[in-house]
Amino acid sequence: MMSAANLLLWLALVAPLLLGLLAWWRPPRHMRGVALAGGVLPLATLWLLPRAGEGALHGSLSLAGLSLHWRLDALSALLLLLTQLVLLASAAYAVGHRRAALPPEATHARFWPLLGGLVLALGLIWVAADLLLLYAGLELMGLCAVGMMLLPGKAEAIRAGLRYLLYALVGSLAWLLGVTLLLGAWGTLELAGLAAVVEPDVTTRIAMALLTGGLLLKAAIFPLHGWLVPVHSSAWTPVSAMHGALVVKASFFILITLWRLLLPEAETAAGALGLLGGSAVLWGGLKAWRADSLKQVVAWSTVGQLGYLMLLFPLLAGTAASVATLAWQATWLQLAGHALAKAAMFMAAGNLMLSTGASRLSGLAGTSRRLPLSLMTFGIAAVTLMGLPPSAGFTAKWLLMQASLQSGQWLWVVVLVLGTLLTAAYVFRVLRCSFVEEAPRHDFQTLPRGMDLVPLLLALAAVGLGLVAEWPLSLLRQGGVP
Amino acid sequence: MTSITLILLALLCLIDRHLRRACLAFIVFALVMSYTWWQLSVPWLAVVEALLGALLTGTALLHALGRAGDVPRLPQRDATKQRVGEAPARWFAALAWLSLAGLALVGLLRSGRLPLEGDADPTLMPAGLLVMALGLWAFSHHRHLLRRLLAFNVLGSGVFLLLAGLAGPGPQVQGLILVGLAVALVGSVLGVMLLRRLYALEGSVTLEPEGDP
Amino acid sequence: MSASFFPVATLATSLAAAAIIFLLPEGAVRARTGLNLGAAVLKIGLVAWMVRGLSQGQAYAVEFPVLEGLAFVLRADALGIMFAGLSSLLWLFTTIYAIGYLEDSPNRRRFFGFFSLCVASTLGISLAGNLFTFLIFYELLTLSTYPLVAHRGTPKALAAATLYLRFTLTAGLVLMIGMVALHTLAGDIRFGQREILAEFGPEQRGVLIAIFWVLIAGFGVKAALVPLHGWLPRAMVAPAPVSALLHAVAVVKAGAFGIVRLVYDVYGAEFSQALGLLTGLAVIASVTILYASLRALAQVELKPRLAFSTVSQVSYVVLGVGLFGPLGTIAALSHLLHQGLMKITLFFCAGNYAEELGIHRIDELDGAGRRMPLTSLAFSVGALGMIGVPPLVGFLSKWYLGTGAVQAGMPWVIAVLVVSSLLNAAYFLPILYRLWFCPGPDHGVGTWPEERHLGRFETSSWLLLPMLATALFSVMAGLLAGMPFSPLEWATRVANLEYLP
Repeated sequence: MMSAANLLLWLALVAPLLLGLLAWWRPPRHMRGVALAGGVLPLATLWLLPRAGEGALHGSLSLAGLSLHWRLDALSALLLLLTQLVLLASAAYAVGHRRAALPPEATHARFWPLLGGLVLALGLIWVAADLLLLYAGLELMGLCAVGMMLLPGKAEAIRAGLRYLLYALVGSLAWLLGVTLLLGAWGTLELAGLAAVVEPDVTTRIAMALLTGGLLLKAAIFPLHGWLVPVHSSAWTPVSAMHGALVVKASFFILITLWRLLLPEAETAAGALGLLGGSAVLWGGLKAWRADSLKQVVAWSTVGQLGYLMLLFPLLAGTAASVATLAWQATWLQLAGHALAKAAMFMAAGNLMLSTGASRLSGLAGTSRRLPLSLMTFGIAAVTLMGLPPSAGFTAKWLLMQASLQSGQWLWVVVLVLGTLLTAAYVFRVLRCSFVEEAPRHDFQTLPRGMDLVPLLLALAAVGLGLVAEWPLSLLRQGGVP
Repeated sequence: MTSITLILLALLCLIDRHLRRACLAFIVFALVMSYTWWQLSVPWLAVVEALLGALLTGTALLHALGRAGDVPRLPQRDATKQRVGEAPARWFAALAWLSLAGLALVGLLRSGRLPLEGDADPTLMPAGLLVMALGLWAFSHHRHLLRRLLAFNVLGSGVFLLLAGLAGPGPQVQGLILVGLAVALVGSVLGVMLLRRLYALEGSVTLEPEGDP
Repeated sequence: MSASFFPVATLATSLAAAAIIFLLPEGAVRARTGLNLGAAVLKIGLVAWMVRGLSQGQAYAVEFPVLEGLAFVLRADALGIMFAGLSSLLWLFTTIYAIGYLEDSPNRRRFFGFFSLCVASTLGISLAGNLFTFLIFYELLTLSTYPLVAHRGTPKALAAATLYLRFTLTAGLVLMIGMVALHTLAGDIRFGQREILAEFGPEQRGVLIAIFWVLIAGFGVKAALVPLHGWLPRAMVAPAPVSALLHAVAVVKAGAFGIVRLVYDVYGAEFSQALGLLTGLAVIASVTILYASLRALAQVELKPRLAFSTVSQVSYVVLGVGLFGPLGTIAALSHLLHQGLMKITLFFCAGNYAEELGIHRIDELDGAGRRMPLTSLAFSVGALGMIGVPPLVGFLSKWYLGTGAVQAGMPWVIAVLVVSSLLNAAYFLPILYRLWFCPGPDHGVGTWPEERHLGRFETSSWLLLPMLATALFSVMAGLLAGMPFSPLEWATRVANLEYLP
């Protein structure tokens, strides 16, 4: 009974796992192979996009009396496309990483099925219309992410991984308790059905509080971000790229979906979430500014940048429709731009660290002469993070600012301004170190060309997205805005 | 009756500093959980619980203490010292969690909307709440990673009990519990593997580096 | 077809040049030089073609939506093409100069790559058709000039670059807030759609006035209006061609040009006058002119003196904007071009003194006129122009400013002009005196700080020729001011568009 489009969607969802298992058995040796095998996925999603906008793609899977609902709307299709692009980039980069960083063969092989599982989980989260399916996706994602983080096997990686694991497990129990309360009170797990019957009473609020707590923990939103930075400091570069770009955002996606459906009018809570976001922007920026290893700068920057996404809550709850539309577009644009740029930045930082053999900022001296391409990539990715034109970050900031001004919520304008200045401060601190001409070094490792090319393309995509933003945003608007 | 047994076993499992005994207590606890599902007439879930919860998770936890190859054995007793007033944020989060859950249950009972079916055990909910409280306490209190893993498993079981008590043993509840059990198993296995590696590399059994205040 | 082709091609020329330069290896000096010069010449050709087309009534515009109700617009109008012409002409000369100046120095790929990017941004600024597009290139300009200021990698250069960023990035944000606020209020205003804001009722005027000053604060940093000028003298550590381009064309002019656009094409001169905004601008400009001239007087080094002179001279543009009436407008627009020509000449000269003789301080210039006569001649032309000696271009600017002040009913501005001209003379004439009349090493008194013999003539011809060309242009712009396509004539044309119905 499955239509061709539905079949294709599920093939596109499951294919990464199958490819990952294949790669486990026989790890790819050339980026070309990866690009060819993975390149089909975005094409499939592009074909599905117009159909998703029409709302034609939804359905349910029945398993022993239990039906799991799913739907593919414009937003999920775009996120799926984004996931596949970042996947493609990370996979291609991982091939080069293996040649340059020489990890143990067996450990490297384990990367692939975990990557496949992670992408399957992300796909499930984007299409899930059901708390149970969301739960399964969330858990699969969390476990695959922990597994990937642990691949380096050093003591600090293990400690970071254990911390992440414990946080993630407890976070998912908080989530499960919230789901329990919702199921107990309203008797359904299907999102649309739940939205139809739910009333904003005490139980719903408490359930949402628990769900939110669990998700904030998984999304590393301030003040529950403690696990994120240590985890990145020791992880492999392609893993960090995938994690910083998408994994933390999946939790945010679930969070906003739930709030929008279940408590759309809760202005106080939304304001509180916005304040958390604002604090995240400031705190993440400050810590990134003070960090002294390159990877920590990038990881703290993730903490800060996630804060911008949280500003959607106060701009969505109880505001005029035009404000909500602006903020809605801004957030997804920001998410996409940040995903591409952050993946690029992790890879560029990884390249710099791999070539120089140093991880501290002072070790970057002279790189502007010796490794201009990696540094340039870092800079272009930073343009998006700083929200300078014409990047996606800029266009998103413009929209966010417009929404804040239009709704009279001035505080968020202040947050945007300070966040931008802090981002510029830490980015240019890195660039400044690279401009230092003294202390010449001569032992730079040369990396495979593809390792420079992949992040450069990602960074350019993030910048270009700002100019062609109307294409995804018009799809978003068609697909319905709150 | 089963509820009281569950609470006692959870308590036993969480306060015992002798780790092997604590793990054994957890296995018995999981078996009683399995019996609970049997009583609720979901036999397949009982089998899954016995298999995933008791057999596999239990084995994984015991494996942490066992001897495997040339890896040094973990000490059999938890010798870490607990300090009063440590990690206030953790305690705060645990208290908030518990009070929120309690409040929500009271709200639900008051509203009278609970679809309590005839065959549902009325003691499941309070038992779940208590088991959850024990798990939360242990998770915030202990520093030994194996004990924290135990606490996490107990906490999870508490949530399952609450789930079954609130919503009855429908297919959706079974689905949720099934996913939860699988996650707990994979999480425990990962955690145990990591703990062994950490101990082998650094001789530490806690998240805080050894010698850290 | 050609309507959208030319603006895009002009912009793409510099962007493509930047991209290819980044891809070329560091050692490919010949290819890079050829590419640089080829792109510069090609761009002048494209701009000249558009100037011709515009004067024949053709329109050049291209746009596409970036967001709902907000478009990316490139449009060549008379005002924009004027600025584009200036920047592409001076780019050619600065490129030639930079090739000579940076011979055998490291990191030339990076330098020329960002240099091209910087020019692309300036061109984008001049062709931008609305505030949004303007902001895009304005910020791109900030980014592309950072590596140029930090180019030498010394602690001093890095500190100056950081200071520069602090000023300009903050200004960019302030500008963005103002633009978003204006957009929220009035939607996407294309440059020239002055009627949109003029139709707002009196109850909105307070907001409009506030937004105006926010935007002026944003533009004012790059235009180096006092007290937002602090970055400019410090940025003098950059290599001479960068100083020449930053100070004559790119950065400070972008700020001034932004103010011109804001007053004439967004608010409209009449509406700005009605809101009482122009008087404020004139006051700020006057303060800047006098304060910076006084500061220039106190400098003992050549480049900082020129820098403060820039701060003061750029404000003539703002002053002209502040004088309501066609004459003030003509003064503002023509000075935008005149100051560019004169100041770039002066910086080229300062660079030549430093390169050939190692001179940085003014008191080291004694007798340099004998050793480097052509450079000193060019310097004299620039300096006398700045003072406003007829028939050089500076005189024209000041003449129109004075008559404009009378027309606008602000006679006090004439006093400002007189005082500032006296100050200009006070800080330029001593230099000329030292150059020509004081005995120096070539007369057997003392030695040059660090003499090098860079070329057959008084210095390398790469350094000499562009300087002579710009000096010649600034003389001709004054002598031939009445001819078609002279800066003054074109400025008059733009002013007529603004004021005649």
